[in-house]
Amino acid sequence: MQEKVEAQPILSMNSVEVLYDNVMLAIKGVSVQVPQGEMIALLGSNGAGKSTTLKAISGLLKAERGRVSRGEIKFEGTDITGMLAQNRVDMGICHVIEGRRVFEHLTPDENLTAAAPTGMSRSDLNAEKEKIYNYFPRLAERRNSLSGYLSGGEQQMLAIGRALVTQPKLLMLDEPSLGLAPFLVAEIFGILQKINQDEGMSVLLVEQNALAALEIVSEGYLIENGRVVMNGTAEALKSNSDIQEFYLGGGEGTDFHNVKHYSRRKRWLS
Amino acid sequence: MDWIFLSELAINGALTGLLYSLFAIGLVLIYKASSVPNLAQGGLTMVGAYVVLALSHDAGLPLWLAIPLAAVIMFGLGFGIERVALRRLAGRPVVMILMMTLGLDIFLRGTTLAIWGGTSRSMELGVSYEPFFLGDIFVSRIHLVGAGVAISLFVAFMLFFRSRTGIKLRAIADDYMASWSVGISVERGVGLSWALASVVAVAAGVIWGEIQGVDQALSLLLLKGLTVAVLGGLDSILGAVVAGIILGIIENVGADFLDPLVGGGSRELIVAAVLILTVMIRPHGLFGRHDIERV
Ligand SMILES: Nc1ncnc2c1ncn2[C@@H]1O[C@H](COP(=O)(O)OP(=O)(O)OP(=O)(O)O)[C@@H](O)[C@H]1O
Ligand SMILES: [Mg+2]
Repeated sequence: MQEKVEAQPILSMNSVEVLYDNVMLAIKGVSVQVPQGEMIALLGSNGAGKSTTLKAISGLLKAERGRVSRGEIKFEGTDITGMLAQNRVDMGICHVIEGRRVFEHLTPDENLTAAAPTGMSRSDLNAEKEKIYNYFPRLAERRNSLSGYLSGGEQQMLAIGRALVTQPKLLMLDEPSLGLAPFLVAEIFGILQKINQDEGMSVLLVEQNALAALEIVSEGYLIENGRVVMNGTAEALKSNSDIQEFYLGGGEGTDFHNVKHYSRRKRWLS
Repeated sequence: MDWIFLSELAINGALTGLLYSLFAIGLVLIYKASSVPNLAQGGLTMVGAYVVLALSHDAGLPLWLAIPLAAVIMFGLGFGIERVALRRLAGRPVVMILMMTLGLDIFLRGTTLAIWGGTSRSMELGVSYEPFFLGDIFVSRIHLVGAGVAISLFVAFMLFFRSRTGIKLRAIADDYMASWSVGISVERGVGLSWALASVVAVAAGVIWGEIQGVDQALSLLLLKGLTVAVLGGLDSILGAVVAGIILGIIENVGADFLDPLVGGGSRELIVAAVLILTVMIRPHGLFGRHDIERV
């Protein structure tokens, strides 16, 4: 290591609270750091607040009548907490939202065109498309058919490709593995890892599928009831017995002591 | 059967139908970019006609200048409507936005009535009313001009929706949230669609104003325009053109058969029947996009 200064994280989120409709407190002081060029996972069960965390970062909260009521979010050192979603995309944050929402009545090619930044020249856009079709050869084959008729895996690839057109420095993905066969999850995660390595793009990955996610990220956060309850390297999380118990499907048998310890801590935290 | 007479009915019906298309293209533009049927298009068309009159007859500008100027003003008005009335509704249920467009229509009608009164004024485009014959068939020149305008707009918008901006508008209609997520300005896109529809409203207002005079009745074009747009498929420009021609022919030929039987007024019935049957039998119209359901 020859860095003189401590590298600044590309994203840092400090004690962020989010309110929906001015009453519903969905996350209660979440702090997450994404170091430059790293892949980070955000794990947790249904309703934990994972999607809300991503929306707070991408600015999509506003569309759902949510707002950040406390804390701050910094991207490359700039406070982006109150910024419009489109300005954040311009800065290099792109959020692949939950449920592979491709533009169904557009072709994959048009989906990519729709996401092109306003200043991008036609030749740059074409080069960008070719690069994306190289990452996802399945999309290239179906580039001119209606996106609504693509398979679930192809739609997820398209949603990721569409996000890549915006030239993100930080790519955030909300449960890209949802409803996909294990081999497809492996394929998509493999491509994400490749993009991360080739282009140094930082990735924040939200997953319920902790097993798959912890294979490709360097670090993970566990969110429960709107709070971060655990944070560590992927190795540490994988070997943590609580994580094994609840998110990795058993692990080394049931350790009753650990379960009790876990629920006790949960009560203490909430 | 008199074939010449029948084809005269059909051709004039088709030309009138293209004028319905001219109106309906405005509806389709907004639907294509926001999935909202714009009930204020009739009001906008009337305002478009009044603005042309204000610039030409009242301010004394020549028509060739007044019409483009009115188009520019209406373009701005379209953006303004999005900014003031629609922005806060983005992402809300479509029925709320629909009610807002209805409110806008009432507002526009009230405003024009207050400013320009209720008496009918003429557009005086200067298109000749000399008979014009296509072979043996008599057609009206103003209808030919209007049909030409409709077809030019059709071609222009077909090209537009293949351009990058046009694709972004179609993306917005598909999914607001996904559009925001890739940095598309949904607000500006919806504003642009209203602006373009307002320019179409000037074209429709000038042609229809020449045909039937400029007064409150212009806003009633909404009923036929909506029928054409629904029959065509609401989000299809091609659909609006084809459906306009079809409705125009059915209406003209049908009325000729039915009017003697029912003693007049069958045109309205034919239009109503087309709208009701379309919604019952083919809710996506002739060319409309379907909701995609994969199994
Ligand atoms: N638009 C909204 N309005 C009100 N409450 C919301 C809204 N979206 C989410 N919530 C609430 O906020 C909490 C966190 O939701 P969030 O969608 O962030 O969870 P999640 O971790 O992404 O869950 P899942 O894994 O099911 O997607 C939940 O209690 C949810 O009911
Ligand atoms: Mg979620």
